[in-house]
Amino acid sequence: MMDDFEKQIQDALARKEPSPFFEARVLGAVKRQARDRRASMRMWWATVAAALVIAIAGSAWQHQRSEQAREDAAGREAKARLELALRITSVKLQKISQKVEGI
Amino acid sequence: MDHAEPRTFAAVLRAQQSMVFSIAYHFLRDRPAAEEVAQDVFLELHKRFEKFESDTHILFWLRKVASHRSIDYVRKRKLQAAVGLDDAPAPSVDGQPEDHFLNRRLQSLIGSLPEKPRMVMVLRYQEDMMPEEIASAMDMPVRTVKSHLQRSLAMLREKIDRSMGDVR
Repeated sequence: MMDDFEKQIQDALARKEPSPFFEARVLGAVKRQARDRRASMRMWWATVAAALVIAIAGSAWQHQRSEQAREDAAGREAKARLELALRITSVKLQKISQKVEGI
Repeated sequence: MDHAEPRTFAAVLRAQQSMVFSIAYHFLRDRPAAEEVAQDVFLELHKRFEKFESDTHILFWLRKVASHRSIDYVRKRKLQAAVGLDDAPAPSVDGQPEDHFLNRRLQSLIGSLPEKPRMVMVLRYQEDMMPEEIASAMDMPVRTVKSHLQRSLAMLREKIDRSMGDVR
């Protein structure tokens, strides 16, 4: 039970109303806050998308480079084999030519 | 609030703005600062509005956050509670002029209490909360709440008696 003095305190601490525009101001701030949050989410997704594009492009470029290197190596090997075959053929032709000349 | 209707933030704001503002106002004794704190409290409420299950939960949360934010505001801004007449518009004087004078004197004296006892007094006498509820809202033991209340009441009684004696 409250005594008279406590009731007086209760009276002194009665609820008060904020300014008449308080409610509109809070609702405005809530809208701004939601808009800012949406904007920062959009920025986050754009950053993620850009990072993904960079990662995919980098990986494709890397793949292309290694394909090119493998093709170059295969080309060099084929060239070396061809040179060897031509050399062998040349030697054989030379021997045949010498035999023909000896007849 | 009608429980059959879906709860909306705007409706809660309309119903509870005076409660949240008054906790901050009686604690800070500064109207613009109290509105700033109250706005922050409602913005925080809006962020997590969907998580609340009942109006009781919202009411408890609002009281708790309003009291903590008000204390934080004073600590951050080093705002000293103004002792004496504040800049708020004068409330209407319904009763005797002595009552009005006594109210202003009590508000000033409560405003001069240290932070935690002052908030305990505001929650007890503005919100009519029991010591157990105050303890839960302010994260302090019930016996500390009771001790703050007893000491603050004794101090206020003594100062009011002395000032009334001076008037006589």
